[in-house]
Amino acid sequence: MTNPHEYVDEHFNRFMEQLYDLLRIPSISTSPERAGDVQRAAAWLVEDMKRIGLQNVEALDTGGHPVVFGEWLGAGEDAPTILIYGHYDVQPAVIEDGWNSDPFEPVEHGGRIYARGSSDDKGQVVVHLKATEALLANGGKSPVNLKFLIEGEEESGSIHLGDFVSANVERLKADVCVISDSGMPTEDQPSIVYALRGMIGIELDVYGPANDMHSGSYGGAVHNPLQALAEIIARLHTPDGRVAVPGFYDDVLPLSETERDELSKTAWTEDGWRQVTGAPQSWGEPGFAIHERTGARPTLEINGMAGGFFETGLKAVLPAKAWAKISCRLVANQDPETIGELVKDYILDITPATVRSEVRLMGGSGAAFVDIQTPAMQAAIAAYERGWGNRPIFMREGGSIPVVADFQEELDLPVILMGFTLNNDGAHGPNEHFSVEMFRKGIHTTLYFYEEIARREPT
Amino acid sequence: MNTDIDYVNKHAEAFKEQLKELLAIPSVSTTPEHQADVERAAAWLAADMGRIGFETVEVIQTHYHPIVYAEWMGAGENAPTVLVYCHYDVQPAEIADGWHTDPFVPTEKDGKIFARGAIDSKSNVMAQLKAAETLLATANCPVNIKLMFEGDEESASEAMTEFVTNNRERLKADVVVICDGSMSDREQPDIAYGLRGVVSMEVEVWGPQQDLHSGHYGGTVHNPIQALAEIITQLHNPDGSVSVPGFYDDVLPLDEEERAELEKALPWIETEWKTVANAPKQWGEAQYNLHERIGARPTLEINGIRGGFAAEGFKTVLPQKALAKISCRLVANQKSVPIYEKLRDYVAQITPPTVRSETRLLSTGEPAIIDRHSPAMQAAIRAIERSWDKRPFFVREGGSIPVIVDIQRELGAPMVLLSFGYKGCAAHGPNEHVYLDMWYRGIQTMIYFYDEIAKGHSA
Repeated sequence: MTNPHEYVDEHFNRFMEQLYDLLRIPSISTSPERAGDVQRAAAWLVEDMKRIGLQNVEALDTGGHPVVFGEWLGAGEDAPTILIYGHYDVQPAVIEDGWNSDPFEPVEHGGRIYARGSSDDKGQVVVHLKATEALLANGGKSPVNLKFLIEGEEESGSIHLGDFVSANVERLKADVCVISDSGMPTEDQPSIVYALRGMIGIELDVYGPANDMHSGSYGGAVHNPLQALAEIIARLHTPDGRVAVPGFYDDVLPLSETERDELSKTAWTEDGWRQVTGAPQSWGEPGFAIHERTGARPTLEINGMAGGFFETGLKAVLPAKAWAKISCRLVANQDPETIGELVKDYILDITPATVRSEVRLMGGSGAAFVDIQTPAMQAAIAAYERGWGNRPIFMREGGSIPVVADFQEELDLPVILMGFTLNNDGAHGPNEHFSVEMFRKGIHTTLYFYEEIARREPT
Repeated sequence: MNTDIDYVNKHAEAFKEQLKELLAIPSVSTTPEHQADVERAAAWLAADMGRIGFETVEVIQTHYHPIVYAEWMGAGENAPTVLVYCHYDVQPAEIADGWHTDPFVPTEKDGKIFARGAIDSKSNVMAQLKAAETLLATANCPVNIKLMFEGDEESASEAMTEFVTNNRERLKADVVVICDGSMSDREQPDIAYGLRGVVSMEVEVWGPQQDLHSGHYGGTVHNPIQALAEIITQLHNPDGSVSVPGFYDDVLPLDEEERAELEKALPWIETEWKTVANAPKQWGEAQYNLHERIGARPTLEINGIRGGFAAEGFKTVLPQKALAKISCRLVANQKSVPIYEKLRDYVAQITPPTVRSETRLLSTGEPAIIDRHSPAMQAAIRAIERSWDKRPFFVREGGSIPVIVDIQRELGAPMVLLSFGYKGCAAHGPNEHVYLDMWYRGIQTMIYFYDEIAKGHSA
């Protein structure tokens, strides 16, 4: 039996190759035509889990894309059991979005792996798989029992996962859940995310004339649906940057002064923010700092808008229809359905009589909030200190991991968010990347975490 | 004259089949990939002109698409010469836009032919050709005829402008007929005398340097789609008028006599609006009626918007940029470039500091107004009375025929604008069609028009 840390260093190049193999599969869960690729990514995971020695490995049907499950219970009944959650699906990507290389052909450049899914979340899934491999290799043992739940629908709102978790409470039983699907501010400063935003997706269609019209023959006498949609969108925020939907902020858990102080350790400077985003000037809700706006405050975002003719050239059309895709990021205590209904009612209310709006609520998920005092959280702090040589700071994360709320509610598990990527790694955008060094440190830190938690549990 | 009408009736089937042949050629001038099809349509027309008996037939190459030109001067020097303008290019069309049949497989149903170009403007082209064919075949042609068919009308007529400017001698005529547009009613003929110009541009708004994760950055970046929507909203006042400073400065006011003339056609235009546009409610400048809004007032229209992820599915992206295609319909005496400049400056002025914007000019076309009281116009009225048994109304047409302005300026001859189709035939939209009974009447109208012109000339 080899020392698992040595095993990691010996086999690191092969780990990289394996990560590349997984990144080459365009498992985009939001595009129906990629369903085959999503299946292929699931099959890849099943095979690797079996190879490294997990038991009861299966791609389990959810009604949508499968959940890949595998477990190792050899640490015995007295040892703690850790449920590891990750996702193998990715956001859409095409090279025309501004990628410098094919998003599904990983390349290493300047110590970074560039590919869709490299950081969100395939790279972090592979971190856990390879840490486990290092423990179990050559007849080795893990100090903790391990259960893997790797889903294929995170990027499309985890629509089937809630039901899957409810239906598999026994199978998923554990003492702690670990999720690695978040980032840290810099390569040297680890962080632990204790709050995540929830989300509700909203589709809005605005209809005007019965058909696309000639903009000469009818322009001036028909309320253009694109214009009407623009007018509606413009009214979703107040001029100072607040969401204008009545009641939108009613249930938001206010920030305490202590929490504001802790969060201010990761405050953005206006310059730093400008460098990362490239936008000319920050924007947002008055009365809150940039880092509070992304983590602790809810938002309403226009993810896409289209209508009419938008290819090269001209078409003098007055379109019959325009549409927008909207999502709200939610914070603790906001209910996705309630917020969705508030937005819907407001849109229908402000739609002028000259057009007709249709609003559809898409998948929603609640925000999550984790207690910092749990032993598992303390184990995570110790693991980062050993892996990084630095005490982690606590952060609120602007993104959403819908399943966190499900794990907390259905399985009554403390959820530890151990992220190994960077916040500005291009997740969801072009040139998404994952630092090779953080991939390596992530595997070591995961091993430390298993040791630390085995030592602490139960409390 | 009866022999001519007999000829039309006898050849009605053959004429219709020829119209379908021309409609089957996808001569889309706005996208480069149809270049060869536009050439093919030009060659088809030239072949038909030669067969009919035109003495001179030329396919004139330009920087853009060819102009098809033909002359028959057999009526002699003492007979009047009529120059006819029409266009054979069409707007883009795809079955996915909502067509029930392939837009380039002409489909006859219930006395209509469905195809792109059916109303705009291949039926007009063919009405001209078949009227000329009839008169030449029966050896009855009382006037000299010059036909000039362009292939760039849907993409701003730039080649035509150059051709007219450089061929003033060759194009010399006593009367110019512009054959394009459509009538506001199936039963009540009309003659358009005012045409709107059009200036088109695109406005691009961009914020961050690339697409961002809407969770990580949402709430701190002014979303470019939202910013574009806010800009677009500010382009109109709540009462429906355009809010760009100085936009209406040069508009030629309507006098009471003209308003009274326009009012005659109002019921038809209102019915047509209800039939064709059928939006939930009328919209537009409050102090003008529907006819005036469409024909005598300038507009600002959003022809297309694109930003973020707008395809099937969801992508929680905070997009880097958003783009709108905007066009203004202009009326006498507005000038296109100054209007573009006013809009550009206004957009720059209202763009918030949180994003950047750029406005780019795409194309220009000036508005036109034609003398309602000329002898040529009287001949047109009589020709329509003979073919329809009804006196035509005068209308101001909302669409644009850019070349009218060039022809007025360069040739100075009295002008008449004739059209033979019904406006509710979905020009530029899906399921464009032409009513065959109106089309046959159009052929008759031209035969009578030449007769009336010859009579007026000798009188």
